[in-house]
Amino acid sequence: MAPTTPSTDDSHQQLLDQLDLTLKPRPFRNARWKPSQRRNKTIKQIVAEAARKEASVMATQDNSGCSTPNIQSSAIETGAVTPMQTNGSSTHANISQAAQNLSTMVLERNLQASLSTGPIATYTNIESAPSLHPAHQKHYCDITGLPAAYTDPKSRLRYFNKEVFDVVRNLNQGGAERYLEARGAHVVLK
Amino acid sequence: MTITYTRYVEPLLSADATDGKRSPKPPPRIWQAIDPPFKGYQPAPSEAYQQSSRDTAVVIDNGSSLVRAGWSFDATPRLSFPPDVARYRDRKYNRTVSYVGYNAYADATTRGQIRNAFEPGTSIVGNWDAMEGILDHIFVSLGIDNDGSIDRSVLMTETIANLSYTRKTMSEILFECYSAPSVAYGIDSLFSYKFNKGVNGLIISSAHSSTHVIPVLYGKPIMSSISRLNWGGYQGAEYLLKLLKLKYPSFPGKLTDYQAQHWVREHCYVSQEFEKEMQCFLDWTGLEDRDHIIQFPFTEHMVIEKSEEELARIAERKREGGRRLQEQAAKMRLEKLVQKEQELEYYKDLQQRLVGQTKKETKRLLDEDEFKDEAQLDKMIKDMEKSVRKARNKDLGVTDNVEEEEVPAFPLLDIPDEQLDEAGLKQKRHQRLLKSGVEARARAKIEKEQEKARKAEEQRLDDERRLNDLGGWLEDRRTARAALLQRIKDRERQKADLGNRKSLASQMRMKTLANLASDAPGRKRRRGGDDDNFGANDEDWGVYRTVAMGEQSEDEEEEDLDAEMKTVEAQLLKYDPSFSESKTMAAQKDWTKSLMHAFLRGPRPFDSESQQEVHQLHLNVERIRVPEVVFQPAIAGLDQAGIVDIAADMINHGMGKPQDRNSILKDIFITGGNTLFTGFEERLSKELRAVLPVEASMRVRRANDPLLDAWKGAAQWSKEPGYKSALVTRQEYQEKGSDYLKEHNLGNTTAF
Repeated sequence: MAPTTPSTDDSHQQLLDQLDLTLKPRPFRNARWKPSQRRNKTIKQIVAEAARKEASVMATQDNSGCSTPNIQSSAIETGAVTPMQTNGSSTHANISQAAQNLSTMVLERNLQASLSTGPIATYTNIESAPSLHPAHQKHYCDITGLPAAYTDPKSRLRYFNKEVFDVVRNLNQGGAERYLEARGAHVVLK
Repeated sequence: MTITYTRYVEPLLSADATDGKRSPKPPPRIWQAIDPPFKGYQPAPSEAYQQSSRDTAVVIDNGSSLVRAGWSFDATPRLSFPPDVARYRDRKYNRTVSYVGYNAYADATTRGQIRNAFEPGTSIVGNWDAMEGILDHIFVSLGIDNDGSIDRSVLMTETIANLSYTRKTMSEILFECYSAPSVAYGIDSLFSYKFNKGVNGLIISSAHSSTHVIPVLYGKPIMSSISRLNWGGYQGAEYLLKLLKLKYPSFPGKLTDYQAQHWVREHCYVSQEFEKEMQCFLDWTGLEDRDHIIQFPFTEHMVIEKSEEELARIAERKREGGRRLQEQAAKMRLEKLVQKEQELEYYKDLQQRLVGQTKKETKRLLDEDEFKDEAQLDKMIKDMEKSVRKARNKDLGVTDNVEEEEVPAFPLLDIPDEQLDEAGLKQKRHQRLLKSGVEARARAKIEKEQEKARKAEEQRLDDERRLNDLGGWLEDRRTARAALLQRIKDRERQKADLGNRKSLASQMRMKTLANLASDAPGRKRRRGGDDDNFGANDEDWGVYRTVAMGEQSEDEEEEDLDAEMKTVEAQLLKYDPSFSESKTMAAQKDWTKSLMHAFLRGPRPFDSESQQEVHQLHLNVERIRVPEVVFQPAIAGLDQAGIVDIAADMINHGMGKPQDRNSILKDIFITGGNTLFTGFEERLSKELRAVLPVEASMRVRRANDPLLDAWKGAAQWSKEPGYKSALVTRQEYQEKGSDYLKEHNLGNTTAF
């Protein structure tokens, strides 16, 4: 036993060394590349951050309070508001007002783009909706998958016949809940 | 690992004429469980980089099941590997190691460290360290050895409506870590559609982690109508794994993800009429073919296979041993007998000697042999004679029941006490005791005989009744059987209920316990003095029987009920023409009748002793249950509409112009690995047909290669002029930011 172990171990280690990516030359990599420590994010985090960002842009849009609200340029163009008598030099008296106008313009451009081509597809809004079709409310036995005509009121499991019912009633602690989970009908405590 | 194992088939209990279920079958077809998908060391192709020029693109189909990569001039991707990375610190050599793709499955240690680059169950990259490892692996394997930059443009696929953060981070890595000169992104299913020369159509792409329905008009996807169902091959495999773990809760083998994925691919198929097929999936006819057996490696505990001669020899040896023991015993008995006879001789001699001796001499002789008086000696001799005679008879093989029970006389009992002395009185008491014993025995004997007679009489009456009124008799028997059945059921229910604390049975039990334990049984105590006189009545003690959950008493009863059932059923079998073997309780419980048995163990008997059978999984209903989820997501608890609903809604309501609808219907295009099931195409076209207007003409086609066409389409596009204009250069990235994206017909649009 003792003499054979190192040799087999060694050959396996050699194989592992052959496979190991860190031992291979990778000259194409940028030596100064330092990724951010917190770049791994879940979808939930990413979506939440994007939503927050959007909301904050919207909020700061109009009443940040650092400048007198100006009549929006588009409103003037569409004739919703009577244009004020202004001359070019005094319109954008301060820089913050100019910045505000710029961001408004960007937002409006985006809005117009979305109006012309419909809403922009995002990862969250392309998810298909629940089915309301009555034909798809069929019930199947939770244990065997066969069409189920009955539901056990105690465990809420659906079952095919009385033999399966015996199985349902003899499930041990938590067994019924696991079956419900496979169907997504389990109780989630939060 | 193959272990051949044969066993003796037990003699068949009953064989109904119609019941062929027990008849021996040919050995089942068995699939072996697969090993981890390790492919061994594969040397990197080094010459390809030299062949490529700055116009050549590195094409990467960044899929969540398999990443495919190659040069744009390749016909098929050079690399295809799962996006798995095992990256950890090797304790022995004290350095970080990383294994990518199939290499990560090299041994148990590496397998234990596997991380997937994608967020589980989605096509969104979540683990960027793993993603970097994958890109490293791709560029190394493609033979890129340029210093400081990969120096080739990169075309990478991404999911529909990819999150901007994800694309931003990918661009960041490609531009800053690998210094790619330019990068473009596209959507995999659109590449596949383009490769299959599609222009107007509806793409139904069911892939590893999601299913998309995409309408395409004039080669451009209608982004606003795209819909995604969160179900793919990954979820299917997970679902199968979940179902199997519920089906075999104590399975000894370890079920892994890649095994489940393999089973879904190998054994599942799309049913054409799910409801109907499911209804009779576990029926006997054809179950043999529908039931697939997966064998896990196992070691048989005891493989004692003995030939006929060996068995005969063992039996002979056993008999030989038995004979020898018998002989020894006989010898011992003989020796004992001889000894006893000698003793008897001696005592008889002593008796002879006592005759005519003086009282003193007699006493001395008796004392020598530790006798109290002559009577004891007599008794001794009598007993010995009896036992010697018995032993002799046994040796000779004669059984004598003729042993006349001599009724002992009790002479002293008739003599009044006054006429007796001290010893006499003692004797009398002794005799009285003996006499009552004898009388009791006699009484018991008589009772026994009476009982016997009563039973015989009962039997006779029963037989008479049967002969005279068979119908009534049978009716009685049937009701008796039904009652027994009910009792057996009740007992089982009670047993089950006792396990449940809330059941009526346990509550009653707790009530009794509480009553017994309480020290204050009402007003009685307060009046003081008197006992609660528990136990005065014999029935009081019955409480302990109800309280005890003990199995012993119930076991006895159980035996009783089962035995009674057997006799009643035997009688019914004998006299009732309508009661057949198959109706007995044993037959009803038999595995051939059991749906659960067919579900768990297929069409063969199950032997829990056989390690081979214990290590088997039976895939039957799962084979159609798992792929069905795409059509009926509610089966797996997914609260979304199935693909047919989505597609029908899109066609019927989503398309503005009728001519657009018609042109889309003419080309319904299926791609992706989760559509490879047999019957997927037929089922889809059948169900779509059912929800479309009658006059609409419809054609469903499948991608040439649903797995590789996305990569091939991407490689093809990378040689077209459209690619050049879609590329974002390094300079543009630096100037316009990481969000910058050039829109094109095969890619995503900017979302802010």
